[in-house]
Parts: sequence; structure tokens; C-alpha cells
Amino acid sequence: MTPLVQLIGLTKTLRGQEQPRPILTGVDFTLHSGESVAILGRSGSGKSTLLSLIGLFDRPDGGQYLLDGQDITRISDGKAAALRSAQFGFVFQRFFLLKHLTAAQNVAMALVNGQGWLPRRQRREKVLAALDQVGIAHLAKHRPARLSGGEQQRVAIARALVREPRIILADEPTGALDTETGNLVVDALRATTERGCALVLVTHDADHAARMGRVMRLRDGVLHPEGVNAPFGGAAEWAGLPSDQAGGSSHEPRHARPAESEGVRA
Amino acid sequence: MIRLSGRLRSAVIIGLQGIRARKTRTLLSMISLFLGVLSVTVVQAASQMAQRAALADVELIEGIDGTLYMSVEGTPEATNATLRSLEGRSDATAITQFPAIIGEPNVRPVNEGGSPFDEQWGGWGWSGGSVRIECDPTGYCYEVIDEQYLQTPIGAAIELRVVGMSADIRQFRPFRLVAGQWLDFSTDPSYSPGLVLNREAAKGFEMYRVPAEMRIMGASDNPTPRILGVVEDGQRIPMAYGRLDELLNWVNVGAGPDPYYGGIGLEVLVAPDATETLQVLRANLAAAGIGEDRLYVRIIDSRRQVEQVMLILRVVFFGMAGLVLLIGVAGILNVTLATVGERVEEFALRRAVGTPRMLLAGIVLAETMITGLFTAAAAIGFAALVFKVAGPILAEVHYSLAAGSFPWEAALAGIIAGLFAGLLGGLIPAVRAARIPIASVMRA
Ligand SMILES: Nc1ncnc2c1ncn2[C@@H]1O[C@H](COP(=O)(O)OP(=O)(O)OP(=O)(O)O)[C@@H](O)[C@H]1O
Ligand SMILES: [Mg+2]
Repeated sequence: MTPLVQLIGLTKTLRGQEQPRPILTGVDFTLHSGESVAILGRSGSGKSTLLSLIGLFDRPDGGQYLLDGQDITRISDGKAAALRSAQFGFVFQRFFLLKHLTAAQNVAMALVNGQGWLPRRQRREKVLAALDQVGIAHLAKHRPARLSGGEQQRVAIARALVREPRIILADEPTGALDTETGNLVVDALRATTERGCALVLVTHDADHAARMGRVMRLRDGVLHPEGVNAPFGGAAEWAGLPSDQAGGSSHEPRHARPAESEGVRA
Repeated sequence: MIRLSGRLRSAVIIGLQGIRARKTRTLLSMISLFLGVLSVTVVQAASQMAQRAALADVELIEGIDGTLYMSVEGTPEATNATLRSLEGRSDATAITQFPAIIGEPNVRPVNEGGSPFDEQWGGWGWSGGSVRIECDPTGYCYEVIDEQYLQTPIGAAIELRVVGMSADIRQFRPFRLVAGQWLDFSTDPSYSPGLVLNREAAKGFEMYRVPAEMRIMGASDNPTPRILGVVEDGQRIPMAYGRLDELLNWVNVGAGPDPYYGGIGLEVLVAPDATETLQVLRANLAAAGIGEDRLYVRIIDSRRQVEQVMLILRVVFFGMAGLVLLIGVAGILNVTLATVGERVEEFALRRAVGTPRMLLAGIVLAETMITGLFTAAAAIGFAALVFKVAGPILAEVHYSLAAGSFPWEAALAGIIAGLFAGLLGGLIPAVRAARIPIASVMRA
């Protein structure tokens, strides 16, 4: 079966002011439909950079990017925008809700993006379905100021889901939330994989990583497999790996979380 | 096409959301634009009304566009050929002009020289005798002031120019009837010539009680004219219009007594489509020995003449309005740049969800151009209101400005100015918005 996403030796070098700094030096990565992958790594290791390459925010310097077996490594800006709209859903650490719009309007933002035109009624239906999917359809008319952090992040997830993407890219979506709310958000994200969506979750939280199908670690610009979790975060026998490796996220000490503590920033 | 209209709609929807979210800023932009858009609207309205007024005058005095104007010399052959050609035809008219004095005999007219009644031009031209022409044996002629005539007292008499016409002149020069009625060309000519006065002449008749006796240069008898009505003819001097066939009983066209000016000549106005009449006229004139070289012919093009003059004024005033508009553009540019700076995250996010760069630029332009439209609506409303209030005053200034509605072209100019200013002010911010990197959302 053709993988949804296949990265082969992907490299990215930051050409800043002084010395060019390699961030990704050869990332190999494969993602299938319905799969969920957690990506761990130190702060500054290039996790966000990797997501920005997968999500077509940016283009790699070297290597190959196949989407559905199609080489899109050097895709044009306009086509990338169309693919982002049709294939990808994004969730970030900060929610990026527009405060002058209601929850429904914020979700509709992904529909009113110049990629095809839907009549108002169809837009409404899709928006309500997406909000319903994350369990907050009753908050459709609320503005972000009247929503809790978890509700806001679920609006953001609904925004990512409204076009029924095939891949969800989530960059520390729980970083600004308390544990309990974070769990709710991860639940909502993982639920999408049951409908055949692929999920890539960048996180610092070992528990959240453990609830993904696979765990990878970004170290020295390369993505290393860390372990495979049994479905629903159970024991690791499922993939035939030693159990101490399956819970590999526990190798990442909690205190390795970035000192700047996103929770405060957001 | 579908893609384009989808993007346009998206831009307008998002633009309107943006405007609603930032009402104060929109208002600030509108204030900075208002004067500019208003000046463009007002200049357009004013130049149009000035043109309307000027054109109305020129049409009254010269004739409507396309009319053929011919001047025929005052010789018996020429005038006879002309009058014979045009007899019974209504699509061309021969007209003749001559001075006349209506009022008491043996007095000098109150407006000697035929001047307007509140001006005194003095005894120029034929004034019933103040100037006499004398010629020496070599044929050189000169004017002599008749001292004895100057002793004559000024009395209840008015000097005016009488225009006689073989057919209705109003098809060429659309005089407006102010009072009474216009000449009837269908009846048999009367021995007592019917005259229609212009406003200035009517003013004279109102100011001075003058008896209805008309003195015409060269005529031995004085006819008793009938005053039929008053028209607006665009002339400042007193004039009277009559039927040529009635006046011919008194005035000798083509064989005038004046050795200096020659006989009284004819002018001919021919409608653009009166080709047959023109052919007959030319043939008859040629048969009478009057070749093309002895005729002065031109096609009237009032509109172009007026427009040429107006163009200069327009350029000057629109230039000034444009400057004011430019200041407004600077204002909206300033506000929008600040807004885009604050919306970096929003635009990066929009790009992340698949919005093309072009649409981001479109959103910014939609906002500024909608703001421009709102401003235009406000400015046009204001201008129309002023127009309505000032309307009666304008009517006093010039008859052609009366009862006019606010020119739609001025509204259009305002809308264009608003849109243009929005476009200009939004361009740089739009480019900036389109350039915001998506990665901004990841590092925010
Ligand atoms: N626009 C940029 N200019 C300069 N340096 C950058 C830029 N973007 C990324 N970097 C650098 O690239 C490296 C990788 O950044 P990236 O955001 O991918 O890390 P990360 O793994 O997501 O970190 P975190 O866990 O803190 O989010 C960092 O060292 C960062 O400083
Ligand atoms: Mg990051």
C-alpha cells in the first residue's frame, strides 16, 4: 500500500545571519492513513521545522517528499496552498482564534479560504458537524473570549477537521493546557484517526505520546523510532517490541520540557 | 471563472468581517479619505454643470451641433437666390439681422447702440443717425458723428436688433419660451410684423413705456409691430425675432441703403440631414454667379469648442482634487499598514489553512476598497445634500442650472475616487500581508 506521507533523507538548513545551521540532516519518515505518530525531542531539535516541511509551510533543502506516492518536494506555492487546504489540518500550541469571530466563524475560516466556494448553508452544516465532532456544537455562537482554553483548542481542532483532511499535524497542542484538558484534546485528536485520518503529534508529554500508535524522537536532525504502542496506549506486545522500549517516552525526563514553559506563554 | 468569483466572495466576506472588527480604524480611514473623495465628486459635478451652462449658451447663440452655417453676401443676386431656394422649406432658415428702434419718433433711444439697459455702450453702429458714413471721391469711407443728431433729446425709444427668419430658428437654436408665444410660420404674413422679444428687450419694454412704432434703417414707413412673446436666447443685448416675410415689407434685404456696410446680408442655417435643400441652395447660388469662394460655410460644433475650454479647467481642478485625495490615501495607507502589522498571526494562520497569497492581498484590498466605497457613499450623500440646498441659488446664477438633478457622473466619479484611493492605499499593505511567512504561527 502506498504510504500517505513518505519522507526520504529530508534535510533543512537554516541560512540565518552568520553560519548556515543544519536543523534536519536526513529525516526518513513514513505515515499511513489511520496512523498516529508522536514526535518527541528537545526544545530546538527541529520538531516544528519538520512539521512545517510536512505541512508544506516550507520546502526542504534536500531529500524527497512523497505524498500519496507523488513527489511534491519542489511543489509550487499555489499548489502547496491547495494541498494544505484539502489534505492537511493544523493544530498549534496557541489556538489562533480570531477574537472578533464566533467559534463557528473561526471554524468556517478554513472553508472561506479561496479554495473552492461553498454556499452558506453547506458551510454551516460542515462547521456544525466539525464542532460536534469535538463535542462543542453548543458553543458555536460564542466568541473566544467566552471559551475556556480547552474549548478554544477544540474550536481550533474543529477548524482543522472541517475540510475532512487526511493528515492532522499538531504542534504541542496541549502545551498551553492543564493535564486534564490536555487529555481531552488528545482524545479529540486521536478520535480522528479512527475515521482514517493520519495524525502527527509533536509533544513533550510522555503520557500523550504513549497514546499514539508510534513514537519517534528527533535527535541531531534525524528521526529515530522510539517504539510502538499497542492500540489505546496499552502494552507493547502488539508490535512485538520489548515493553520497556514501548513506553519509550518515559526516557524523556519530565524536566527536559523547555524551561520557558509554554503554559505561561500562551 | 468560478474559482475567481469564489475568491472574490471570500475576500469580500473576510474584508467585511475585518471592517466590522475594527470600526474605529475604518472610521479613521474614512475621515482621512472623505475630503479627497468629496473634492473629486464636487469637481466633477461643478465641471459638468459649468459645461451644461456653457453649452446651453453656445447652442443658443451658435446652434446645435451638426448645423451647417452659411453666410451669404448682401448683394441682390445672392439674397434673391437664397430666399428663392429656401421658400417653403422648413429644414433650413435664412436669417437677417438689422437694427431697429421701437418707440417715439424723433428721439434718441435710451440704450443708444442697442446696448443692454444697465450698460451704456454709446452710439456705436447704427443708432438712428448719430453716426453717418461719408465717402470721399477716392472711395475711402469714414464715420462722421452727426452733431445735429446729438442735439436730439433722448426719449421713450428702445434700440434693438431684429432678426428675421424664413423658417423657425428654434430647431437650430433652442430658445426657451419665457412668456407669451413663439412665432407661427404657418399663417399668411401680416402687415403688422409679429415680434418675439428676448429677455433683455422685454426688460426694456418693462422699464420704459414705449409706443409700438418701429423705425428701421432705410425704411420709409414705420410699421407697428405686435409683441407676441418673450424667449431666452442667451444674448445680453436686446433682440427681437420676427418672420422674414413680414419684415421684408419694410426692410430691403440685399439692397440695403448703407454704402459702408453694403446691403443687409443673410445667414443660413441648414439642418444636418437637409441635403436636398442644401443642394438646391448651392445650385441656385452657383447659377446666380455666387461660387463657393464667395460663401462662408462651416459646420457648428459647439460641444467640442466648449469641451476644449472645459478640459483645461477640468485638468486643473481634478489635479487639485487628486492631491487632496492623495493625502487621504496616505491616511488609509498608514492605518492599514498598522492593521496588517497587528494581524501577522491571522494572515499566517490563513495561509496555513490553505488561503493563497493572492487572496490575502485581496482581503486587505477588499477592506480598503470597501472603506473607500463607504467614504464615497458618505461624500456623495453630502455633495447631493449641498446640491439640493444650493439648487435654488444655482438657478439664479444661470437658467440652465435650474431644475437639474445631481449629475450621476459626479456620483460615479466619487465611487471611482473612493475605490481608487482604497486600491492605492491598500496596495502596499496587501503586498506585505501576502508576504507573511506561515511559519509565524509556529513561533508565535
Ligand atoms: N526563523 C528562524 N530564525 C532563526 N532560527 C530559527 C528559525 N526557525 C527555527 N530556528 C531555529 O531552528 C531550530 C529548530 O527550531 P524548531 O522550532 O523546529 O524547534 P522545536 O523542536 O520545535 O523546539 P520547541 O520544542 O521549543 O518548539 C531552533 O534552534 C531554532 O532556534
Ligand atoms: Mg516547536
